[in-house]
Amino acid sequence: MDHRDEEARGRRIEVAAFLLPALLLFAAFTAYPVLRTFWNSLFEIRPNGNEIFVGFDNFREILTGDPVFRRAVLNTLVWSTVEPFIDVGLGLLLALALYTKVPFARFFRIAWFTPVLISTVVVAIIWSWIYNYDWGALNLMLRAIGLDGMTRAWLGDPATALPALILADSWKWVGFNMVVCLAALHSLPSEVMEAAELDNCGWWAKLCHVVVPMLRATLLNLLILAFISRMKVFDLVWVTTRGGPLWATETASTYTFKRAFEWRSFDLGYPSAIAVIWFLVVIAAVVVLTLLFRQRDRLEF
Amino acid sequence: MRRDWLSRGLLWGALALYTVYTAGPFVWVANMSLRTTPEIMAAPYAPAWTPHWWKFVEAWTTSNYGTYLWNSVAICVASVVIVTLVGAMAAHALARYRFRGRRIVGAAIFSTIIFPPQITIIALFQIMVEYDLYDTRLGLMLVYVAIQLPLTVYLLEAFFARIPEALYEAAKIDGYGGIEVFWKITLPVGFPAIATTIILNFIHLWNDFLYAVVIISDDNKRTLPLGIQKFMGDQMEDIGMIATGMMIAVIPVVLFYAFFSERLIQGMTAGAVK
Repeated sequence: MDHRDEEARGRRIEVAAFLLPALLLFAAFTAYPVLRTFWNSLFEIRPNGNEIFVGFDNFREILTGDPVFRRAVLNTLVWSTVEPFIDVGLGLLLALALYTKVPFARFFRIAWFTPVLISTVVVAIIWSWIYNYDWGALNLMLRAIGLDGMTRAWLGDPATALPALILADSWKWVGFNMVVCLAALHSLPSEVMEAAELDNCGWWAKLCHVVVPMLRATLLNLLILAFISRMKVFDLVWVTTRGGPLWATETASTYTFKRAFEWRSFDLGYPSAIAVIWFLVVIAAVVVLTLLFRQRDRLEF
Repeated sequence: MRRDWLSRGLLWGALALYTVYTAGPFVWVANMSLRTTPEIMAAPYAPAWTPHWWKFVEAWTTSNYGTYLWNSVAICVASVVIVTLVGAMAAHALARYRFRGRRIVGAAIFSTIIFPPQITIIALFQIMVEYDLYDTRLGLMLVYVAIQLPLTVYLLEAFFARIPEALYEAAKIDGYGGIEVFWKITLPVGFPAIATTIILNFIHLWNDFLYAVVIISDDNKRTLPLGIQKFMGDQMEDIGMIATGMMIAVIPVVLFYAFFSERLIQGMTAGAVK
């Protein structure tokens, strides 16, 4: 064996050694579970290990005969289309405020970003207190300005529970979008913003005609990221309402979890089928969104 | 000019209002964490004139928060150390070696970043039960390593690939072996990216709830988010104590933020700007 072969062989061993731990972990705790979930979705799985093959019965039932699933999908879609616009829109406005160098910008940035870092469980408890009927801040404020008629148990009322949770979630995430927008603004050539300043157009015109087009790629990325993250929303709902009242806040994730671990329906096959359907929905959404917006919007400057 | 002053004033007012909205709830909970539940029930928004610092001691000694904190620290630190090392090794292999299947391996790992957690979580539960890892800290740690691995490799690979080739050429001339190259060049030069992923992973895992709630059931193995949620369920009425527990979970993250704010913001946004 000549020298070059030996060196090539040595390099192959090195690559294998570097990759092996990651690949083992990936195979055992990511790839295998994904495949097993697909497999599970075709069975009824009893806790004693009995697996009864049911073919696509689970899927048929979910898609045609499960009103809770339909409600969960609807809620999740509402959540994941509404919240990104709140998060990114507000985040952009705040970033612009910091960009124009308001006093105490550093303090503002810290105050606005901190919620991003707080555990969702903590956020959930804080907001379930704010929405409390008797002593929650929201009702107290409404009473203080004489709007007693509007007070309610915000998370206990099927009409307001979902919007209330969306608001609480955006409280956590606006700061994240603000920071990304701010970074993007700082990476713009400063002449652009100065030119807009010179043209003396109003701030709204500047926002619509200069800032948003220039940041289009970042903003789209943020919207897509927020959309995908909301498709997975679980913690906030689980700690506050558990999907209630009357399925008003049930999401795809909480419903899967409920059917798998809470309902004592003793069947892991059905929730696996829900997981597979939702997995395909998320992947399809990602593919469609990237195809729609990919690179077409790259702006030259 | 007057109009200008007016608009600046309005802007300032709006920003101040928004600050009250983001920071207010947080200050309120911090305040409640130092008050007893009867005090809170009498006046939920009164400041803690006489702060009851002993509540933190009590949370520690009687409410099992000490155990939760220890579990969170142990599991998060171990997972982050392992995922950083394993992830950096894989990223190094993908970034610095040309081998057959490289693109496929990369694509397979990276594509799972966007997977919703449900697609693995039921099967993970089954696997944990079958291998006696259910309700163990080891099991949760392994899962944590696995869920953070794809993003870690993704971020590190992008950075490692941009390290100048000249450094590696020089190392080769010095007679460095494969492991030395990794240890003495990739790790130190790639440190900024590694620090970013460490922070990102730490925050994600510290705050994780979903995986912990599926894998852990014994009270003595609960992490902080689980412990707080359970405390909320058990002691619905003891708001003061729940607030103290929440502060125990929040303070380490805020300290982290205070010391590493720039890097932390970088870490949190690393995935998004691309």
